[in-house]
Amino acid sequence: MSSLRSKGIFLRIYSWLPVIILFISVLNEFDLNYLNLDYFSFNFPFILIFYFTLKDFKNLDYIFVFIVGLFNDTVVGLPLGISSLSYILICISTSYFRNITIRPSPIKDWFYFLFIVSLINSINYSILTLFFSFNLVLMSYLVNTFFTFLFYIVFVSIFKFYLKSLND
Amino acid sequence: MAASRDDLLIAIRSAFLKKSTQQKFSLLTLVFISIFTILLSSLDFKIIRIIKVGINEVVYRSSFIVSIPENFLKNTYIEIVEYSTFYNKYKKSNDELKLLRSGNVENEIIQNENKELKELINDYITSSDKLLAKIIVDHNSPFLKSIIINKGSKNGIKIGTNIYDQSYLVGRVIEVNYKTSRVLLLSDLNSNVPATIAPQNIQAIITGTGDNHGQIKYIKDGLSDKFSEESIVYTSGTGAIFKSGIPIGTLKLFEKDKKTGFNVEFYSDFSQLKYVFAEITLRKDIQNSNNSENQEANPIEAKIKILEDEKEIIEDSNIKFKEENDLLKIKINELNDKIFNLNLNLSNQNQKINQFNLDREELEYLRLNLIYSHKCQTRKLFSTGYKVGTPEYKECILNKGKKINE
Repeated sequence: MSSLRSKGIFLRIYSWLPVIILFISVLNEFDLNYLNLDYFSFNFPFILIFYFTLKDFKNLDYIFVFIVGLFNDTVVGLPLGISSLSYILICISTSYFRNITIRPSPIKDWFYFLFIVSLINSINYSILTLFFSFNLVLMSYLVNTFFTFLFYIVFVSIFKFYLKSLND
Repeated sequence: MAASRDDLLIAIRSAFLKKSTQQKFSLLTLVFISIFTILLSSLDFKIIRIIKVGINEVVYRSSFIVSIPENFLKNTYIEIVEYSTFYNKYKKSNDELKLLRSGNVENEIIQNENKELKELINDYITSSDKLLAKIIVDHNSPFLKSIIINKGSKNGIKIGTNIYDQSYLVGRVIEVNYKTSRVLLLSDLNSNVPATIAPQNIQAIITGTGDNHGQIKYIKDGLSDKFSEESIVYTSGTGAIFKSGIPIGTLKLFEKDKKTGFNVEFYSDFSQLKYVFAEITLRKDIQNSNNSENQEANPIEAKIKILEDEKEIIEDSNIKFKEENDLLKIKINELNDKIFNLNLNLSNQNQKINQFNLDREELEYLRLNLIYSHKCQTRKLFSTGYKVGTPEYKECILNKGKKINE
């Protein structure tokens, strides 16, 4: 009886894993920046939010995405609401993409992701430079977009494995 | 054509408004909330500031806890690397220590002199207290270079507080919460530090590049030719954002497009910071507390007031001296009169004494004359005396009848 209950708790935690990882990644800024490789950076929350909202993952509530955005702004030091808007825009784009896609394909998803990340990073950059007078290096944004795009396919394979194990 | 446009509109509307069974808010609502939040965060209302401080406190602490495993791994890796190069570093540090110790005494003298001169110029004393702060979040974002420290307004940290690594400048506080603060590092693109480049004594602005070095900006053309790799950069104190004389880094030569340029190599490695010092400065006016209320913040006005006061005091004392002088003059005149009168008296008395002496001599002569005139007078028969009235006769009388020849 107790083993069944403990298994249930474990399963529940396991099903909430993407949300937990999302919060941890934002609070911990999991992006390997401390390796100090020139220009190297990628945006893990973008990949996670894009993938799981595209797959309509039931536990990833939009309100969590919004709160995670606020947390990210606080940790990074950006004006509150910028990251929330970016993350919510990803959710909108995935929702739209889900509606118009009849036959899903990973390659199509990947390039759509590149388009969306580029668009959102551009919006982000424009808001920060035009309205908040931040000095930002455009090259960092471009490299960040590129590496986020590259890492998408790596993380997607891990996420697929996770979803499969959850369904089993 | 019309059907495909309808499909697109339906898809967009569905994307914005449709809520799944699990979702509590539609995406459109959340977009509006996000935009509203951005607008609010750009406005500086007190209530927003308080909410922001609350969120910051919670998030920074959570971030610190969440980062513990990663920080542990990171620190372990750094420690292993440090151990492997430990002996070489020890030898190098020992040599450096010897050199620094010799220079330290000289520095202390200069610092004391500097402090005294500053006090003379500014009419106020600044006493500073360096507070040790732990870095709780140091996520190296590619866009913003900042760290979070575990000291806030509770500990006296203010916006603009200078942050040090040992005695090297690291950055300044740009956001203060109750128990935490955000420090903008010198390497951030938004960081601008007024600096002096020594020994050439050239003023410049050092800006961050987003990398681990700074850039020299806003200097006159041609001045950069004077730079060398031995040049050191320290804060000039212009604008009163940073204290003057804080070391920042050294100049480093680089070549780009066949042109020689200079970067600022920071003394401190911002990626290796664990603890920093926050300098809390207390300013104390030299004037008395009673006068300080009336004193303007402008030190020139305060100086003029002091000089006016001094002038008044000198004028008052001058008047007093004049009055005293007049009194003394009158006294001197009176005394001179007294002296004159006394002198007059004295001469009268002297005259009287002389007269008395003369009279006494005359009297004595007459008395002796009565006794010895017969001995000194000349006679017809015996011509041994003198004629009466001659000096020889007088002398003979005074000698009691003894003649000169005898």
